[in-house]
Amino acid sequence: MSMHQAQVSGTSVACDDLFVIGGKRLSSRLFMGTGKFGREEEIPSIAAACGAEVITVALRRVDLSGAGGNILSHVPKHMQLLPNTSGARTADEAVRIARLAKASGAGDWIKIEVISDARNLLPDGYATARATEILAKEGFVVLPYMNPDLYVARDLVNAGAAAVMPLGAPIGSNRGLQTREMIRILIEEIELPIIVDAGIGAPSQACEAMEMGAAACLVNTAIATAADPARMASAFGSAVQAGRNAYLAGLGRVLNTGGVASSPEDGRLTGFLDQGGSL
Amino acid sequence: MQTFSPGARSAIIVNGQAMESVATTLEALLEELSLKGAPLVAEVNGTIIQQADFAATPVQGGDRIELVRFVGGG
Repeated sequence: MSMHQAQVSGTSVACDDLFVIGGKRLSSRLFMGTGKFGREEEIPSIAAACGAEVITVALRRVDLSGAGGNILSHVPKHMQLLPNTSGARTADEAVRIARLAKASGAGDWIKIEVISDARNLLPDGYATARATEILAKEGFVVLPYMNPDLYVARDLVNAGAAAVMPLGAPIGSNRGLQTREMIRILIEEIELPIIVDAGIGAPSQACEAMEMGAAACLVNTAIATAADPARMASAFGSAVQAGRNAYLAGLGRVLNTGGVASSPEDGRLTGFLDQGGSL
Repeated sequence: MQTFSPGARSAIIVNGQAMESVATTLEALLEELSLKGAPLVAEVNGTIIQQADFAATPVQGGDRIELVRFVGGG
C-alpha cells in the first residue's frame, strides 16, 4: 500500500469513529486538566499541542486578598469545560459544587469527585453514585470519577452517568494503569464510554488504555509536571490516537509459546547458499 | 432583630472569615472587597446567587457568604 493510500484509509477510520458524550460529538479522545501548571498562560498552547476538546477546571473560594487570576481566560473558547467537584467529601457537597459551577456559567458538564480519604485520594463509590443520580436528574452531563469496581460502575450507569471514569492509579501519582484488569472488566461489561482518569503518567500508558478499548483518557499531572509540557501534550495526543487506531484495527493474536516466522518458509535461498555458492 | 441604619456595620462571614461591612447589597460588598466585576459566583446562606442578581441581593448581619471562582484542576 502506498503512503497516499495509507493516509486516505487513516482518515476514513477517524471519520467513522464517532465519540459522543452528552450529545456532543468529540473528535479528540484526550481530555486535559488545568491543575499544577506553573504558568497558566501555557494552557492554550498545550491544548493546541494535544488537540484536547474537553478541559477540566476546579472551583475554589476567591482569595479575599485579591490574589489569583482567571483560569477561564486561558481556556480556548471552543473547548468543552468539565468542572470537577474536587474538595467534596460527601454527595451533598459534590451536588453543591456542581450547582455553583453551573451558576458560574460553565455549562452543564460535571466531573463528580467525592473523596474523604486524603492520603490515597480514592473516591467514595456510594457517595459518587448518589451525587450522580441527583445531578443527572437535574440535567447535568455527569462524568463520575471512580475506583474501577464493576458494581459501582453499574450503579453509576443506573444513576444516569454519561460516562464512567475509572482511575488507573491514585490521583497525581503518574504510576500508570495499576488497575488494568479491573478497567478491562469495565470496558467489557459497561455500555457507557470508559474514560481512564488519574494515574496515567506516560503516553505509553494512555496508549495501552486506548488499545484495551477505553473511550478516552483524561491527563493532567503527567503533562503539567513534564519538563516540556507542550511537547508532552503532543506526545499524549499521538499516543491516544495510536491506541485508538490499534483498538479499531484489532490487535494481532498472541502465541503462548514458541515463534512463527514472519517471512515465508518456502523459497528460501539457504539451500542454494549451502551448495557452496559464493558471492 | 436587625436594625437598619445607613453606615451601620454588620458582622458577616465571607469565605469562612468573620468581617464587618457597611454594604447592604452583595454588589456593594464585592466593591468593598475590590472584587467588583471579578468572574465569580456567590452563595448567600446556602443559596446560589448569579452575577446578574448581585445588586438586588441584600446583605445583613449574620449572613454567611461564599465567593467562589474557577481555578486550575484535574
